[in-house]
Amino acid sequence: MLMKASLSGTDVKTGSIALHNLQKRYGSATAVDDVSLSISPGEFISLLGPSGSGKTTTLMMIAGFEMPDSGRVLLDDKEITRLPAHRRELGVIFQNYALFPHMTVAENVAYPLRMRRVAKAEREARVHRVLDQVHLGALASRYPHQMSGGQQQRVAIARALAFDPPVLLLDEPLGALDKKLRQHLRNEIKTLHKQVGKTMIYVTHDQEEALAMSDRVAVMHEGRIRQVSAPQDIYRRPADLFVAGFVGEVNLIPVSIRSGVVQGPAGDKLPAAQWPDADRDATLCVRPEHLRIETAAAGTSAGIQGRIVDMTFVGDATILEFQSESGLRLTSKVLNISAKAMPDVGDACLASWAANDATILTQ
Amino acid sequence: MADAMNSIAIEGRSSLGPAASARPTLWAWLLLPGSIFLLVLFVVPLVGLLLLALGMPDWTMANFLRIGENPAYLTVFRKTLEISVSVTALAFLLSYPVAYALATGGPILRTILLVAVVLPYFSSVLARTFAWILLLGRNGVINGMLLELGWVSQPIAMLYNRFGVIIGMTHIIMPLMILPMYTVMSGIDQGLLRAARANGASPIAAFLTVFLPLSLPGVMAGVLLAFIYCLGFYITPALLGGVSDLTITMAISSQIVDQLNWNFGSALSMVLLVVVLVILWIGSRFFPIDQLLGLSDQKVGSGKVVRRQIGTQWLMRVGSGANALDRWLPSIGGRGITLLAGFLAVLLLLPVLIVAYLSFSSSSYFVFPVPGYSLRNYEGYFSNALWLRATFASVRVGLMATGMATVLGGMLAFGLSRGRIRGRGVMVALVLSPIIMPTIVVAVATYFLMVQVGLQGTEFGLALGHAVHAIPYVVVIVVANLRDLNPTYERAARSLGADPLATFRTIVAPLIMPAFIVAAFFAFLTSFDDVVYVLFLGIGRITTLPMRMWDGINQDINPTIAAVATMQMVFAALVIVLGTMLGRRKK
Repeated sequence: MLMKASLSGTDVKTGSIALHNLQKRYGSATAVDDVSLSISPGEFISLLGPSGSGKTTTLMMIAGFEMPDSGRVLLDDKEITRLPAHRRELGVIFQNYALFPHMTVAENVAYPLRMRRVAKAEREARVHRVLDQVHLGALASRYPHQMSGGQQQRVAIARALAFDPPVLLLDEPLGALDKKLRQHLRNEIKTLHKQVGKTMIYVTHDQEEALAMSDRVAVMHEGRIRQVSAPQDIYRRPADLFVAGFVGEVNLIPVSIRSGVVQGPAGDKLPAAQWPDADRDATLCVRPEHLRIETAAAGTSAGIQGRIVDMTFVGDATILEFQSESGLRLTSKVLNISAKAMPDVGDACLASWAANDATILTQ
Repeated sequence: MADAMNSIAIEGRSSLGPAASARPTLWAWLLLPGSIFLLVLFVVPLVGLLLLALGMPDWTMANFLRIGENPAYLTVFRKTLEISVSVTALAFLLSYPVAYALATGGPILRTILLVAVVLPYFSSVLARTFAWILLLGRNGVINGMLLELGWVSQPIAMLYNRFGVIIGMTHIIMPLMILPMYTVMSGIDQGLLRAARANGASPIAAFLTVFLPLSLPGVMAGVLLAFIYCLGFYITPALLGGVSDLTITMAISSQIVDQLNWNFGSALSMVLLVVVLVILWIGSRFFPIDQLLGLSDQKVGSGKVVRRQIGTQWLMRVGSGANALDRWLPSIGGRGITLLAGFLAVLLLLPVLIVAYLSFSSSSYFVFPVPGYSLRNYEGYFSNALWLRATFASVRVGLMATGMATVLGGMLAFGLSRGRIRGRGVMVALVLSPIIMPTIVVAVATYFLMVQVGLQGTEFGLALGHAVHAIPYVVVIVVANLRDLNPTYERAARSLGADPLATFRTIVAPLIMPAFIVAAFFAFLTSFDDVVYVLFLGIGRITTLPMRMWDGINQDINPTIAAVATMQMVFAALVIVLGTMLGRRKK
């Protein structure tokens, strides 16, 4: 039942998870709606979504704390859908750590081993090793309430690693920490993932976290997975308006496609790389950092005519608020790299972008 | 969340510690009237009791020596202990599942259980004892059913013996034990059980290694409070017990009321008091009692208390063993606990419901099932001048006691919450003592004081005694609400130009008014239900409603009593509903 003592995990080939058409309803509300996902061994995947999107319910169905109404959960091609949580051999790291307050750090970490009746010598050696791995070897005899939030988080990780599960499930593990510490621990978890090579399924509502850590991100909304892609693709090529709006800032420009040309609200031709052939209305998405706003005189390329209505200095960048002649408001983010002359509020300008930076969405 | 709790606790503690720079605030003055009241009417009488026991003015230990030498009194102590231990043990076995289901169950189950626990808790002890007389008696409901079913050929003796006392007392102290256990259990993060499961613990192992050890402070508190209550319990043993089971409280009562041997009665009271104090002292080594009564900012079961848990290692071994058996054991827990708790809830409520049912009987005797329905018992009450006079006496005493307890208790609550005094622990102990100390001892002590100032047998004197008993309830309720009252509101009002008085009038008073109303109702209820104080302070001159019930039960089991008991319980239920509604409106 237990895997070899090695925590290096380079030889681990297990830890694939497959979800087939998972469905979960609470009364009349559908929490998870037809979710299918295939996760390969060693992959770091994030379930990203706002609260109520079904991401935590999905994770809890993998962990065995919720039973799906229909659908299947497979671990290494074995069905575990109805297996009780304590026999799944999956490591779970909970939102508020869920460290046992009446046990020391060492006792907490030893807990999964005691439940598996690992002999004392082996148990102690393993607790020692895992605690060292998270740099808490010196604090083994402390109680959880004597530790900082970051340390408690590490104990939670150590406890989940102690029995060497092939998969770690992390439920918003950094949610309770402040921003600086969150960034720090983010890197630690990433490093740990490289070290132990375990499959990690990470639930978060923080898009930055998801983009920074994951091999792939699954964006969820209203119980469904809207897109599963590498972070770059999620950001650059959002599959729909929800993903575009949820991940990062975005300018949405209503466009119409007529005879193979993308036309803006004023009927002028707008830059884009790919669009459907048929005539239809659509939305053009362009990120603020991709939106160039230049004084009208210099602007000769295709774009939208308008004026700058507001400028905000935010440190590393300046945010320009632009309003087109038709009343459309756009935001542009310009990095403050050099003392380059910027247009002023009130200036007539042209907003444009590289064709490759625009995405056309048709729903 | 947990961190926030901790920081509040630390803040709370540091402001009380000797190193704190904070001086007492002006709020501390509010402690003065209440403390003087409790000193004069609670501490002084108990000291007087001690002096009486020591034979003042001729100092002597003879009274205490007489207790030690007389085997009859050693038997009394032994029987009191036997009964208290059995009742506490039985009540624990029945209470733990109920508390567990109450803390972890679904909303419907929890509502049912809460009603089953809280309704008996606040309905009068006398009414509940009366219910058991109807159930267990020779011609009672249970014997009637057994005979009907042909399981027995003649009635079994269940009343006026050890069995009756244990059953009745267990039923009456169960809510007392359940509530502290529930308080602790509901503070246990359910996520911890999930974490245990995720780490490979079966449901049973998760319970044994995580839930049970974390619930131990509540278990200890519940067991301790119940045990102390049993030791000082008078009404139920006196009404349900047999002649051979004389308990210490009955011995005290007989010495003081019948034999008029005040010195010896005082000595017996002192022994009971010292035993209770020793048990409390031992208990407080393991957990802070004030936390469980809601008078501490610290989270129950946090900090050092947790580490003292000796049984944890042992439970870990048991849990680990149970885990290995998981695959072979049938899955208990889950539905099993729900069913068990539901069954126990029915048992808790049943006596109360049966009294209500019998009160509508058309027969002038207690017959089960009733031959027909009528309101004759209620008519009997409303047409009887004695019952009505007793009711008015109860209301008068209750209103006086409520007025005093609400004003003084309210001030004490403000002083305790915001006074930042040193020695807050002593103050808390003083305020809570009247409900923790055996009522009979306090009543006897108060009686001696009243005799000296000539207030014995007066309604005002009785109300003073009741006020002492009601103050702790008022303080607990108001303190709990003051903790929710964010001081930022008051600062905001001050910043907007309100002076302290206007702030109090416009911000504090409206926000805590519901708590005061609820506290006043509970104060009234404690006075309205009391028998013990009346027995001593009333010296036969005052007949309150419970006193008349007591006489009625002792003389003839009059069916009118069922109607009165039912009305009392309906009144208690109304108070609870009102309290819940006011509490909910605030949210």
